[in-house]
Amino acid sequence: MRNRKRYKKGNKFNKLLEMPKEIYSNEPKITVTGFHELLIENYKSVLEYEEFYVRINTYIGIININGFNLVLNEMSEDDLLITGKIDGIDFETIVDEEEE
Amino acid sequence: MYLKVLLNYILGYLNIEIEGYYIEKFINLCNNKKIALWNLKREKTTILNANIGITDFKEIRKILKKTKCRVKIKNKKGLPFIFNKYKKRKIFLLLLAICIATIIALSNFIWNIEITGTNKINKDEIMQILEETNFKVGTLKSKADTKEAINKIRLERDDVAWVGIDIKGTNAVVEIVEADEKPEIINEEEYCNLVASKDGIISKVNAANGTPLVKEGDVVKKGDILVAGWLEGKYTGTRYVHATGSVEARVWYSQKEKVPLKQIEKEYTGKTETKYSLNINNFKINLYKRLSNFEKYDTIEEYKKLQLFSDFYLPFGLTKITNKEYNEKEIILQKEDAKNQAVNLAEEKINEQIKDKSKILNKQIKVNNTDEYIEVEVVYEVLETIETKEKIVF
Repeated sequence: MRNRKRYKKGNKFNKLLEMPKEIYSNEPKITVTGFHELLIENYKSVLEYEEFYVRINTYIGIININGFNLVLNEMSEDDLLITGKIDGIDFETIVDEEEE
Repeated sequence: MYLKVLLNYILGYLNIEIEGYYIEKFINLCNNKKIALWNLKREKTTILNANIGITDFKEIRKILKKTKCRVKIKNKKGLPFIFNKYKKRKIFLLLLAICIATIIALSNFIWNIEITGTNKINKDEIMQILEETNFKVGTLKSKADTKEAINKIRLERDDVAWVGIDIKGTNAVVEIVEADEKPEIINEEEYCNLVASKDGIISKVNAANGTPLVKEGDVVKKGDILVAGWLEGKYTGTRYVHATGSVEARVWYSQKEKVPLKQIEKEYTGKTETKYSLNINNFKINLYKRLSNFEKYDTIEEYKKLQLFSDFYLPFGLTKITNKEYNEKEIILQKEDAKNQAVNLAEEKINEQIKDKSKILNKQIKVNNTDEYIEVEVVYEVLETIETKEKIVF
């Protein structure tokens, strides 16, 4: 429940000013550069990490990454850079009660 | 990206191996405590390879206990570890310190004086003046008084218009601007005569103002008055004026040249030997032992000051000595060749003196033949204006 409280949904004011969404909200931004580099902004934690499988928790759901030789290259509080051969990305959405 | 790598290298980092079952938990805890990990790589299901900064490594231990992981240091990288290595080598450090100290000490002196901007002025003379004022190679930069040196040069030399001394590193650049020789300008209102500047025979007199004292065909010597600066009138009496006008005269230039018939010519064999010697200020250390192998040789010396950077001259210099061997060869010239040679030499010298070559009236060549040498006298007859102004002194 604590996590849901931290989840920020942008207000109209920020939308009016055309602020980047990843800054005012907690929604993750996933940038894939080529097939070998993936950058996730606004992530929460690493749930599982294997050489072929990375499972990352974010504020709105879970991101699964399949691939080979996956390396967590850079880690900071908000950003995570994964390099290696990326085969696929899929998402598991946490159902938000407020939205339903 | 590269900046980050460099920063990590300067601060030092460890390559560690973490073994345990709760590796994800370990990563998340590290993240929460703001411990930076990078290049995380899973080797096997229970082993994680990662890089971590030195200061963060101490804080990791609590997390390790919590997650029941074990850590092993695989590699230490970065500058702090390199420095640590040299802590034991005290003599090396001492010598390094001495080396740096000497370089700093040496940089407080002037080790080279460069004089620029001189064409006519001899650089050695300027050097001598500088040396008298304590501004010389080897003085402390703080004690070298540039103002005094500049004043001294300007007082002693009239032909220097401006002097600037710029000290760059251990190099002092003395910049000199030469003064043009001032022609003596005589004021329009002052009285003057026109005087001959050369010997010659007058061919044309054109006096605009003043009384001409010479006429065509007169022989004049240097210093004779050509146009006097006064006018005499019946009623006005003698009146002094500023004489103007032009006087053309035929002037002779002669040049004698001797060329011996027997000449010794150098024929280089192509063999050379190079030697080096070290100079410390004025003290010279030869880096070679033997004298030259050659019987007859020309020596070319090249002196070069050693410098650390472009402006950091050191008090040492290297002299490169090149000896070129030659054989002497005796040639006996034909008389005709010798004559041509002599005439060419003489003409070259005369041409330097004559300003306007289009006014050469005729050339004469006198040849004096002997068995040993040929003497040639070349005489040029040139039409020139010879008048100069000279003030009338009462």
